[in-house]
Amino acid sequence: MPLSLLRSVVLPLVIIVAGLAVVASLSGYIERVRPAMPADYEDSDLSMNGSRLKGFALGSEGLIADWYWMRALQYIGGKIVRAPDETINIDDLRNLNPRLLYPLLDNATDLDPHFIAVYSYGAIVMPAIDPQKAIAITQKGIDNNPNEWRLYQYLGYIYWKLKMYNKAADVYERGSEVPGAAPFMRLMAASMKNEGGSRSTARDIYAEMLRSEDPQIKLTAQRRIAELDSFDEQEAIDKALAEFQDQSGRCPNSFAEIMPTLMHVKLPAGNEFQVDSANRLVDPTSAPYLLDKETCRSKVDREHSGLPLR
Amino acid sequence: MTPTQSTLIQRLAAIARNAFREAVRDRILYNLILFVLIITASAIFLGELTAGQEARVIVNLGLSAILLFGAFISIFVGVSLVWKEIEKKTVYSIFSKPIGRGEFIIGKYLGLCLTLLVNVLVMGAGVSLALMYVGGGSLVGRIWGAILLIFLELTILTGVAIMFSSFSTPALSALLTFFVFLIGHFSSSLLDLATGLGSRGAIWLFTAIYYLLPNLSNFSFIANTANGQVPPAAMLGGAVLYALVYDIVLMTITVMIFSRRNFK
Repeated sequence: MPLSLLRSVVLPLVIIVAGLAVVASLSGYIERVRPAMPADYEDSDLSMNGSRLKGFALGSEGLIADWYWMRALQYIGGKIVRAPDETINIDDLRNLNPRLLYPLLDNATDLDPHFIAVYSYGAIVMPAIDPQKAIAITQKGIDNNPNEWRLYQYLGYIYWKLKMYNKAADVYERGSEVPGAAPFMRLMAASMKNEGGSRSTARDIYAEMLRSEDPQIKLTAQRRIAELDSFDEQEAIDKALAEFQDQSGRCPNSFAEIMPTLMHVKLPAGNEFQVDSANRLVDPTSAPYLLDKETCRSKVDREHSGLPLR
Repeated sequence: MTPTQSTLIQRLAAIARNAFREAVRDRILYNLILFVLIITASAIFLGELTAGQEARVIVNLGLSAILLFGAFISIFVGVSLVWKEIEKKTVYSIFSKPIGRGEFIIGKYLGLCLTLLVNVLVMGAGVSLALMYVGGGSLVGRIWGAILLIFLELTILTGVAIMFSSFSTPALSALLTFFVFLIGHFSSSLLDLATGLGSRGAIWLFTAIYYLLPNLSNFSFIANTANGQVPPAAMLGGAVLYALVYDIVLMTITVMIFSRRNFK
């Protein structure tokens, strides 16, 4: 091989190929020795104060609000994804330590006070973290958007969950006066005063939330309605089990023995009992109910059921 | 000593010195004034904007600005460095002297790296002063590891810009270098994307991009620094070696292309 060819082609090609091989392995090495971010990095305080940032955003307040909103979704989503399933309780998310959710939502709404999706999300998720902050973010939404009757509905929902029925009634009443508000708002104001804690009131609230265009709110309402259906079903099953026990002096070996009775039961919401392909009695999420023979009562299969955990 | 007797190092140093002087004459360092204005304004106003975390924001803002200003210089000066010499035909007078094409390219590259080093050092000093102003003096010593990593990243970006400019127009070279800058920061995600894709062709393509393009996320340490971390010696050593080897690869490719270029 001529020396010139060796110097001008072969040697450079060897350098290039060997160099790329070296950097490929170095890349993995650097990644391995790079220190991990501090454990509390994800939850460290926000650097910026949204209300102060407003005048300095060069007209990009909406864009920055969107960024805070997306970060809020990723923040809580990441916490839920990483947490073991059995630790997630949608009624109490405090063990996930989502301390930044409120500041993120607050900043987003400081920058864009008419960002309704943020208030709605806060109203639905924040009660499981900090009810007072849930009230604060929803009330902020109402203050900034007094004509959004949905926000009154969400605030009423928070007060209802806190069993503060008079306050809930007052909020529903105020919301019902907003032009274009659903007639349901006036009905809810009355229901709160008369039967705030009843299951039928809960069903009415969730049925109305099911009409929301927000997928998060729809999902919450669907799960809650399924939970209420399950409560109705479990009550009917337990009643049938008690009757069987009274008549035969023993607990049935399986639900099959009380199935003929259950098939004639009319559930409060007009539903019927469901069975799967193996003829097992299933809950609204299609997971079979379990029979606790010690207490002779039905129970939800926590491992397989999609019902909210308590 | 006559020019013919000068050593390789002396010839490279002469070209590098000239490239640096040219950058100074072209007022490249004026960007420092803009940087100082941004950092000074940030230091004064951040107290109003931040929730008591001025130092953290100064680190994030200052180091990001060093990277962006540096990338801007690397790309736009890098792509025109060789092209200008060819366009003004000064390249003929240079090559009439006992200077090889490879020496010319590497000298120019080193000159621009020197310009970037001065830039980065002055900007780093600016960030340090701003940190002291907002009471974040404890972070001053911690930012320099990240600044070194930024400089190493810029040397690779400069190499990429010069490589593209050795066979393409300045506008296209700038665009391509900018893409490398963007993709280089996402390259680890590219490998995840490749494994997540069903298509064999896509897997092959993304894996090839991952291994061929520089993995610039190796040099990203800004968020860590803002949280008080310092890059460990092993990481700094790995990054220096990575940049050095990648720079050698880039210069080898550039010299190969430039040596075959016809200036007639």
